[in-house]
Amino acid sequence: MRCAGVAEDERAWIDGLRRGEPAAFDSVFAAYRRRLYGYLVRMTRRRDVAEDLLQDTFLRLAQHARRLAPDTRLGAWLFTVAHRRVISWSRAQAVRAQLAGDIPAREADTGDRSPLSALVDSQAQVALERAFAELAPPYREVALLVGVEGLQPAEVAEILGLKPDAIRQRLARARAQLAAALGEHAPAAWRTA
Amino acid sequence: MTDQEDAARLTEIGRELPALDLDATTAEQIARRARDQVGRGPSPLRLIEPAIAVLLVASSLIWSVVKALEALGG
Repeated sequence: MRCAGVAEDERAWIDGLRRGEPAAFDSVFAAYRRRLYGYLVRMTRRRDVAEDLLQDTFLRLAQHARRLAPDTRLGAWLFTVAHRRVISWSRAQAVRAQLAGDIPAREADTGDRSPLSALVDSQAQVALERAFAELAPPYREVALLVGVEGLQPAEVAEILGLKPDAIRQRLARARAQLAAALGEHAPAAWRTA
Repeated sequence: MTDQEDAARLTEIGRELPALDLDATTAEQIARRARDQVGRGPSPLRLIEPAIAVLLVASSLIWSVVKALEALGG
């Protein structure tokens, strides 16, 4: 997760982290906590789990601080850690379901009483949250990282450890499935495409 | 449609998703726990469990060898 073009702010934060400065950590936490939390809530569909995984992600950053390369891209680094935490959590969920002799529980309710719907305040936003929630996790993850977090497909390929072709395919499917799920709530340009 | 076009369309709609955030107390708790660890590296306590396991295995092995030697010698 390194490149030559690291933003100046991030460079200062990384220098601070490498020196073990708590103030640098606070800046990174303030800059990334909402983004990571949003990603984690939408991937796990559970706020309590998202909080735990967010803490794990920032603990990892804190413990790894002195070993960060000077040209680390913090966004990609943090989302890579968060992605791995989501994968581990998902595997543990599947194992727990198997041990219980059960099929994996359907992920949290996406209906009106879901925790997510309590956070949104309009019908269109509820429809949008629901459309994202109904995407299969691999497509949802790519849609969130590209569409919400504004990461480039190449960066997402790096974060997820996938080839660019796989990301291209997931992007296309995510967009098509979102358009179908959104129906009348889809942007006009989507409906005419 | 290219991946850049797909990305642009997803970005267009992703902007409409509401921002999610932690409550301030939880955020501060998480920040404080992690901040205390800045630059410290993983806790050395994590080595205790494997060290105990290695000691147990090694002592069992040594005990087995001693017993085998005793049986052969006796």
